[in-house]
Amino acid sequence: MLCEQCKKREATVKYVEVANGVKTEHNLCGVCASQLDIGPFSAVFEGEISLASLLSGLLGIQDTEKKDGRFAEVLCPTCGMTYESFIDTSRFGCADCYSVFGPLLGENIRHLHGSERHMGKRPGHVIREEAAKAQTREQETDDEYLPNLTKEEQIRLLQARIKDAVRREDYEEAAVLRDEIRGLKEENV
Amino acid sequence: MMKWYEVPESAETNVIYSKVRLVRNWSEYPFPGKMTKEQSLEMTARILSSMQGLNELDQNNYSFSYLHQMTDLEKAVLMERKVLNQGILKKKDAGGLVLSEDESTGVTINGDDHIRIQVLEKGLSLADCFQRANQIDDHIGEHVDYAYDEKYGYLTAFPTNMGTGLRASVIVHLPMLSRRKNFNSLVADMGRFGMTIRGVYGEGSENYGSLYRVSNQKTLGQTEKDIIDLVSKAATELSLQERRLRREALKHHAVACADEAYKSYGVLKYARRLSKKEAMEYLSQLMSGISSGILDVTDPCSIHELILGAQTANLLSHADRPLNKEEVDEARADYLRAHLPEIR
Repeated sequence: MLCEQCKKREATVKYVEVANGVKTEHNLCGVCASQLDIGPFSAVFEGEISLASLLSGLLGIQDTEKKDGRFAEVLCPTCGMTYESFIDTSRFGCADCYSVFGPLLGENIRHLHGSERHMGKRPGHVIREEAAKAQTREQETDDEYLPNLTKEEQIRLLQARIKDAVRREDYEEAAVLRDEIRGLKEENV
Repeated sequence: MMKWYEVPESAETNVIYSKVRLVRNWSEYPFPGKMTKEQSLEMTARILSSMQGLNELDQNNYSFSYLHQMTDLEKAVLMERKVLNQGILKKKDAGGLVLSEDESTGVTINGDDHIRIQVLEKGLSLADCFQRANQIDDHIGEHVDYAYDEKYGYLTAFPTNMGTGLRASVIVHLPMLSRRKNFNSLVADMGRFGMTIRGVYGEGSENYGSLYRVSNQKTLGQTEKDIIDLVSKAATELSLQERRLRREALKHHAVACADEAYKSYGVLKYARRLSKKEAMEYLSQLMSGISSGILDVTDPCSIHELILGAQTANLLSHADRPLNKEEVDEARADYLRAHLPEIR
């Protein structure tokens, strides 16, 4: 459909006006729409449609809540980013903003990405730290208390650790522990 | 050394090139929007120096430079060649650029995020682009502790990039498909599969040259491989559809197709003034003509190189004085006349 005003460009904006119960519909292109006087919404059409203003709509909680100031006091202690300016710019100020504002966004992240959990690559330093931690834990468990326990007690401990691993969604570790239990049970037979 | 965009287009596909971009941040510093001028400069210098070892990693011969020491025109030329993105163009703070000699691999420092790794390659080769970007990511990761969270993945300034920080894009030439009435509904359908499709040189029917970028929308909750596979599949499908339409057109309107191709060639060969819009449209026709075999070029050539060369900032950078609009159009026609391939 072509824009009803310039009749040249494709209409990309549908503008519905309801005045005194009468509904009128206009189909306009971005350029003509920007010349329309529709208060705060005009800003949306200036130049390219701003990703930030679109996003703040997506991420932000309803305007009324913003005015209530329920979250207005929330501030990132590391970089000083306020909730309000985060919603306005749709930009995090630093890594710590994620733990400050992340819980406030809740469902909105799922709406944006269809998921709330990272599934991809993990950085080298995280993997290295984890490997180091796992090694110390292995040493602790192997050398210190497990050998002094009966097989039943060892299995019970391992089962508790599986539960913990599943809770952390660390299924690889859970699988390793499961195999360990299986090994212990087979020894019994 | 040959630039990546000088590689001739393949006759097998309408995919012009592939691009993979990864964004990362250094946990030691706040994100670019919240950094002081001094922090910006310090971080840029530290990352640049930590990357000096890159030349031993692969044989790409990297150059290291500061973005804030470049002129606006130099930056605009790099943006036209896809090395820089729009966001970094207006930034006044310190920034850095590491660029391989063939310009296929680039790392920009302190743009919207601290680190932006980008790999470009001719044809459909997202998996290869990702593998190369991943290697550079690992290399930087040895010196820099990335801002990372088990739940949110790599932490980025914009919530739209969090998770993998990966944007996989493929640029496809779709002159026939985009002319069809149902193209808009196809664009909408792509959204349902988590992908966006946008005009490269303008929106909607004003996308001169009919080049479209297909890329993933979501960055969280999928593995890198899932994203690469999804976008590759969509690009393959779009290219197949386009070629099917073209075969039909060639069968039923052979003369009209040949006429379009030869006319475009003729205009590009003899015109003395070409606006950007005209140049893009004729080059698009030329690309179709060559890939469908109507125009038989004596040597394989890259039409995408001509498209990049005919952009305004590039023409200005080759002129010895500032040019007005008409002079730019003249320079564009001159450039295309000089670089047009010979046909048999």
